[in-house]
Amino acid sequence: MAGPPKDPHLHPLADIDRVIHASPRLMVLTYLYVVESADYVFLMRMTGMTWGNLSTHLGKLEEAGYIAMEKQFRGKKPHTIIHLTKEGRAAFREYKRSMQRVLDDLPD
Amino acid sequence: MSERISLKQAERRAFTAAFEDGLSDVFIGCVVSMFAIAPHLSTRLGDFWSSAVFLPVWAALYVIIRMVRKHVVAPRIGRVTFGAARKAKLMRFNIVMLVVNVIALVLGAFVAVKFRSVSGLVTASLFGLICLTLASLGAYLLGFRRLYLYGLMLAASPLVGEWLWTHKGASHHGFPITFGITSGVIILTGLVIFLRLLRHSPLPSLPSEEA
Repeated sequence: MAGPPKDPHLHPLADIDRVIHASPRLMVLTYLYVVESADYVFLMRMTGMTWGNLSTHLGKLEEAGYIAMEKQFRGKKPHTIIHLTKEGRAAFREYKRSMQRVLDDLPD
Repeated sequence: MSERISLKQAERRAFTAAFEDGLSDVFIGCVVSMFAIAPHLSTRLGDFWSSAVFLPVWAALYVIIRMVRKHVVAPRIGRVTFGAARKAKLMRFNIVMLVVNVIALVLGAFVAVKFRSVSGLVTASLFGLICLTLASLGAYLLGFRRLYLYGLMLAASPLVGEWLWTHKGASHHGFPITFGITSGVIILTGLVIFLRLLRHSPLPSLPSEEA
């Protein structure tokens, strides 16, 4: 992993939340940010990920406390509903702000 | 990355993905078909019952569509609930629809009582205007863009029907022809979208412990 950047202007980039910054997790969080809750199938469809892949990334987001997974029952089978936690919403908002701060002034 | 990521667009895409199954079109088309079928029934059942007879049919259709959504569509496209902004939008839509419908009803009753001798073309224009207003509001507030086209077809139906009746001798103010075509187009559009969804969104492979 790289150490802190020498240029102080790049410090905000080093502070970017790496849990969110990975593109599959960013896709998942983008959708969870705009809806109240969604299930695996919906997220698989919107992000194009497989069950296994999605499951791994959701695990990391859950570990960070950014999402909560709720088991409900449909008939006899469990059905997982995923939603963003308060911390997750705040982290995503902060990530969005940081990225805007860093990238807004870059020339095209 | 060549495009901006818009959260509003993401929300709209999520909403469209969850409701773009064509079943709403089928329901709207079936409701519109009443205007094509009811005139034929009115000679036997009278004006009131020829329309009222459709209520249980619509109720049954609504239940069937809900079942299809639950058992056929949802396992393919997933389940999602929307946030406060979208719920507020839906609430606004329902309130606006209610207000416009009440105004239309009062206006319709007023015209029917006060201007009995009014020309069919005026009544048809009024009816068309109400249909266009309702459909456009629905299209705008729900982001259901096809409703603009359906609204135009619905607005044109009574006017073209009236013309067919006066110039070509079509029966029942031409309603069976014009509304029949309009409802047919709407139902067919819905069925095509539904079949495409079934084709392009097969049941995903989930582990056996997940429903």
